[in-house]
Amino acid sequence: MIVELEPNAEEGPRVWAIGGGKGGVGKSVIAANVAVTMARSGNRVALVDADLGGANLHTLIGLATPKRNLSDFISRRVASLAEVMNPTPVDNLWLVSGAKALLETANPSFGQKGKLLRHVGALEVDHVILDLGAGTSLNVLDFFLAARRGILVVVPEATSIENAYFFIKAAYFRKLKRAQPRQQVKAAIEEVMAGESRRTVRTPRDLMARVMAVDAEAGAALMEAASTFSPSIIINRVERSEQARLGDEMGSACRDYFGIHLRCLGVFPNDALVKRSVEERRPTVELFPQSPFSGAIRVVAEKLMQRPALVNP
Amino acid sequence: MSRARHEDWALLELEPGADLAAANRALRYRRSLYHTGALATYNLLDDDERLRMLERIDEAYRRITGCEPPPDRAPQPVNAPPEPADTAPSDSPPDPAVEPGAFLRHHRLARGLTLEQLSTETKIRARLIAQLESEDVAALPAAVFVRGHVLQLARVLDIPDANQLSARYLAKVKLD
Repeated sequence: MIVELEPNAEEGPRVWAIGGGKGGVGKSVIAANVAVTMARSGNRVALVDADLGGANLHTLIGLATPKRNLSDFISRRVASLAEVMNPTPVDNLWLVSGAKALLETANPSFGQKGKLLRHVGALEVDHVILDLGAGTSLNVLDFFLAARRGILVVVPEATSIENAYFFIKAAYFRKLKRAQPRQQVKAAIEEVMAGESRRTVRTPRDLMARVMAVDAEAGAALMEAASTFSPSIIINRVERSEQARLGDEMGSACRDYFGIHLRCLGVFPNDALVKRSVEERRPTVELFPQSPFSGAIRVVAEKLMQRPALVNP
Repeated sequence: MSRARHEDWALLELEPGADLAAANRALRYRRSLYHTGALATYNLLDDDERLRMLERIDEAYRRITGCEPPPDRAPQPVNAPPEPADTAPSDSPPDPAVEPGAFLRHHRLARGLTLEQLSTETKIRARLIAQLESEDVAALPAAVFVRGHVLQLARVLDIPDANQLSARYLAKVKLD
């Protein structure tokens, strides 16, 4: 993947990718509600259902299955991504549905991914929210890394946290590998990923130190790549106060282990009204604007809409 | 023991110069992250890595504070420092303005305390007490801790005007 959306570009939309390794943690609900909130604040927003295996964002915002979707674009039935932007009941919000994309595009080619990302960057909107599927496939990782900021959604359960770290590791190493053309260094990273060199290289930090010792130039390139890898995290379905600290704790652990800055973007309470709104196929922020969940969504949307704060995180 | 390095402060997420209370809070927080079964690091590290991380945390704490970290779930083996051959105290104590370290040592020996015993009383590592007594500048922690340790030693040894002694000590070893 060569295409990278210029993270500091002042032109073009700001792209936010929401992923998280595990299915069912609330990625799509959060993506939809953040998108609606941004649009209600007057921003033009494209919500892109990039869950290439199980898209259902249209249902969450109360839209019937759109006629045109991502597969029309990828299979070149339409020339531009803008042509598959479907209007929604919310002003300023468009949906690029992935609804029927499963068979054709669950595994798009290298070229298709690059084209999709270029078109995402060219959409005439202020924000693009990419709802990624579960898992750590290369598709998901590449979309995550191409975004201005990748956002992981985690729930306070061991399985979700395990998946989140697996995701962060995979994205981190993919980013380093892409930044490093030298075969020797690539091989070293692969070794670490495969867990074959645990005796000498224990953590990503150790890997960095080792590469630095062997090849300072390659090490500097890796450091540079690592320093720009700065994902965010949202803790969803928090029930107890100590769970609210999880985001900061994971941030500390990521700093120790990877040497990266993981920023906690928000903590969302477990709110029964979310389920009710999903059942009614309406965004929670529209149906229950006073709910605790909606309040937390607004806080996150505000953060993402603040331009300078995130250009220099 | 050497002075705390930049990485030590960074590991405990402390601003250089933070006080002992902050260091203790940081120690508790860091340890809680890497305890067996901690949710926040679930399956991030294997057991070896986890134990190594806990060791690094304790080491950083030692270098920063000069204190032995309070016992954790898995107590670290204590490397007892070599006890210097204690000489009997002379009748007149050294001048605290000239030899504040020797002055401390004089008061310890006058009370018949070994480094270990004083360490138990003060919670300051025996090796560090020895280093304070010999004014081993290179080995001392940051000034804020040296000041605290000298005050603590003076208090336990019933030395009057502990503040003056710690000020003299810092002036002597030229820690700012």
